[in-house]
Amino acid sequence: MFSTDKSPGALPAVLGVMAIAVFAMVLLRIHDQWGLLALGVIAGIALLLAVRTGAAAHFERAFAAHERLMNGVVVVAFLGVIAVLAKQDFSLLILSTVLLYCVACMGLSVQLGYCGVMNFAGAAFFGAGAYTAAVVGGHTGLPHLLVVVAGGIVAGLLGSVLLLPVLRTRGHYAALITVAFGILFRSFLEVNNTLGGPQGLTVPGMSIFGWSLNKGLAIGGITLSFYVNYALVTLALAIVVYVVTRRLERSWVGMHFDAVRIDELAASTFGLNVQGLKIMAFVIGNVFAGMAGAVFAMMTGFISPTDFDFPTSLVLIAIIMLGGIGNLWGILPAAAFVLILPEKLQFIQEYRFLLYAGAVILVLLYRPAGLFPRRLRRHFPAKAVSRT
Amino acid sequence: MSALLSCHGLVMRFRGLTALDDLDLEIRRGEILGLLGPNGSGKTTFFNVVTGVYKASGGRIAFESQDISNSSPQAVYRAGIARTFQRSRLCLPLTIFDNIMIGNARHLNHGLWFNVVRRTPLRRQYEACWEEARELLTIFNQALGTKLLKAAGSVSMIDRRRIEVCRALVSRPKLLLLDEPSAGMTHEETNELMDDILAIRKRMPELTIVIIEHGMSVIERITNRCVVLNYGRKLCEGTYGEIARNADVQQAYLGTS
Amino acid sequence: MDIGFLAQYVLSGIMLGVVYAMVAVGFTLYFGVLDVINFSHGDVLTAGAFVSLATYLGLRATGIDSPVVVLTIMLAVALATMALLGVLIAKFFVLPLRHAPPFITLLITLMIGIAIRESIRLFYPSGSNPQSFPQLLPKTAYHWGNLIVRQDTLILIVTGLVVIALVNLFINRTRAGLAIRAVAQDGETAKVMGINFEWVVLLAFALGSALAALAGVMNGLYYNEVNFGTGLMLGIIGFCAAVVGGLGNIYGAILGGFLFAFLQTIVVVAVPSLTAYKDVFAFGVIILLMVIKPTGMIGEVSSERV
Repeated sequence: MFSTDKSPGALPAVLGVMAIAVFAMVLLRIHDQWGLLALGVIAGIALLLAVRTGAAAHFERAFAAHERLMNGVVVVAFLGVIAVLAKQDFSLLILSTVLLYCVACMGLSVQLGYCGVMNFAGAAFFGAGAYTAAVVGGHTGLPHLLVVVAGGIVAGLLGSVLLLPVLRTRGHYAALITVAFGILFRSFLEVNNTLGGPQGLTVPGMSIFGWSLNKGLAIGGITLSFYVNYALVTLALAIVVYVVTRRLERSWVGMHFDAVRIDELAASTFGLNVQGLKIMAFVIGNVFAGMAGAVFAMMTGFISPTDFDFPTSLVLIAIIMLGGIGNLWGILPAAAFVLILPEKLQFIQEYRFLLYAGAVILVLLYRPAGLFPRRLRRHFPAKAVSRT
Repeated sequence: MSALLSCHGLVMRFRGLTALDDLDLEIRRGEILGLLGPNGSGKTTFFNVVTGVYKASGGRIAFESQDISNSSPQAVYRAGIARTFQRSRLCLPLTIFDNIMIGNARHLNHGLWFNVVRRTPLRRQYEACWEEARELLTIFNQALGTKLLKAAGSVSMIDRRRIEVCRALVSRPKLLLLDEPSAGMTHEETNELMDDILAIRKRMPELTIVIIEHGMSVIERITNRCVVLNYGRKLCEGTYGEIARNADVQQAYLGTS
Repeated sequence: MDIGFLAQYVLSGIMLGVVYAMVAVGFTLYFGVLDVINFSHGDVLTAGAFVSLATYLGLRATGIDSPVVVLTIMLAVALATMALLGVLIAKFFVLPLRHAPPFITLLITLMIGIAIRESIRLFYPSGSNPQSFPQLLPKTAYHWGNLIVRQDTLILIVTGLVVIALVNLFINRTRAGLAIRAVAQDGETAKVMGINFEWVVLLAFALGSALAALAGVMNGLYYNEVNFGTGLMLGIIGFCAAVVGGLGNIYGAILGGFLFAFLQTIVVVAVPSLTAYKDVFAFGVIILLMVIKPTGMIGEVSSERV
């Protein structure tokens, strides 16, 4: 039904994005379990049809062929969803959390997907950023945008301290260090009363240039949820991190990351600084996670060690594995699936870790590249369509 | 011809096995040297020690009067030595262009700021590299030159070997080490490959090549000089004609009659 | 500090060391034969403890009373079921992925570990709470002056040491052990020599998992408690111990296990106020050691062809 022409038009992609946006709007607003079931069935059938008729593949090609346009369309779609949900506190909170997890997962993608550096402590670095925001934001006059940056820096520094010693060893040493850190981070915080201990810390809400995000916007007589502010901020952060990560991937540095991941030895014989590249990837990824954590802390107003425990780190890993390791676009649907579903389907809340583990196991056994495998690198795709 | 690389008393021991045993070897500037010997005689080990993959247990290696005995693989590359591997070591999931450019690290700008922020100069560098890669690849195979954006894993084994040679050549090294480049090729393909290597040599006359090979016709045709190793030691050296007539060499390869 | 007090800690340290060593040996076996890190190992330990607990409850319901009989049956059931679990994990999840990048196997075993852990938490009656483990070993204590030594501690320590020695003997003196060592050294050549590669891998997994089960039961007997999360920490410690001793090296694993226990005990004895940080300290020292000797104290056993 759908032809495989050389350069597909943009329309299928735009329509696809709009359909997904509508789905997201409905999903985030529904609370009634039967309604959700109905939505799930409809979505499932639509998806099946899309794959079977080749519409899904067509959408993917169109999406990739019109990148600049599609980036803009996606941002507009997000703004649309935020606008529709403008008075729903909880829905906006979930949306923002999904976006923040996406930022942390983009960092994880750089570490694991590009450079092959294992990081089982993603949530701990996220938490490092959060606690930095709590301490610095709460006790110094540092402007909050810089607090976010500070969260990133602290996470980055922490990561380099951890990884530097074991860089010259095999990959599983990094795994060990990050697993140990991931597990011990929480217990370290709980034992330590200076950082609030198990009771956690309150975090002042974000304010940018004097404008407090914790006050809802009043537009034409209607007061919007203050979470709209945070949703916009998290969207902005996600966009910035996406652009940086995408450019990183489409550059010599991204290429070198891949080389290190695939064959360290050959990479070294061609002059690549393997240790330096690994550290760079690790730090960059943690900076992203730290920044996301800082925003998370200011948004939720209260953080405790249990928010940043080992199972949460594993959830981050699950997201990038499910989405397609190394594929930035795959992170969004995977994060949405992993975070929204348990919120909406209350009965699976308890079972969610078991479900995630099962899903990842299935992916690893049968489709290890993930649901949305990563595409080949085109350093400058925009104008290079004429080249073969 | 002056010595480009020379090693003295090179020893490489692996927990009880001595792969290189007091080896003295000289590679002269501008020559094509054949490195021969029965399996296990230490040829690939020699390459590995020179390129810093293994750290020699003893002896010295000098490259252009610089001591590279303890150099890291990165330092050896920067000095101007590039290689291919016996077991093909390409990054199969990456594009052919990426694979070749991995070999060009010396000429690329690695800075984070440059790569993420300064996209226009990056693009210019990219386009120059694109031309280089295409030109180089086309020498070896016309069709390959048009496939720069395909995954390296999607082309034939023979083409992959060609890509590996291009990867080693793209940085314009002073010394090129080829480890059994024609392994798995037919007679015609091997001849083609040797033609291409000689063509490269014409464009880069100052390039010195050491080639590990088993095919005697290849050695005869392409090399100026040969060195034969056995049990990690130099058995003899000379032109192909000289070593082919050498009784020790015959015994090493064929055994006593 | 009086000697009795000190000896108490020494003994509990040895006890910990024995458990850690058993877990570490498992890790080292898996790495040895397949170059894989099996992160489900710690959770197999927990599963073994829970299976033995369930067996105990079942036996008690049928009225069987004698501690020796009960304990023997508990052990038999736990070891057998965990050995089977280990074999299943190897056959369906690890062996099929042995040509994939090592990270994939690490991840899948991590996920299997989660699945086991969550299954226990969700499906065992009130699984999220700590379960009391029966006291089957005599708790009578010997008094030597100031020194108080409990019988159960002694029994556990001796059992643990004997088992470790037996495993060592098995690996180094039997034909099956020889097969394991052959595969660990060079799987390809071992296959060529007629050794059934898959069978050896399954054997290694069965052995490692049985050891984990034993460690789990011993842990339960010592603390009189089991918890669905016990295995996670023990697994990490065991992995750490195996790495610091040198992955693939049985003696290294044993050494690493006792070393970790020693480090933890030192903190508790010398600086009691920092007891909460004993894990952090032990990990910190181990990481330092790994930096100094990246291939492990005794030496990692693996190879890569260039």
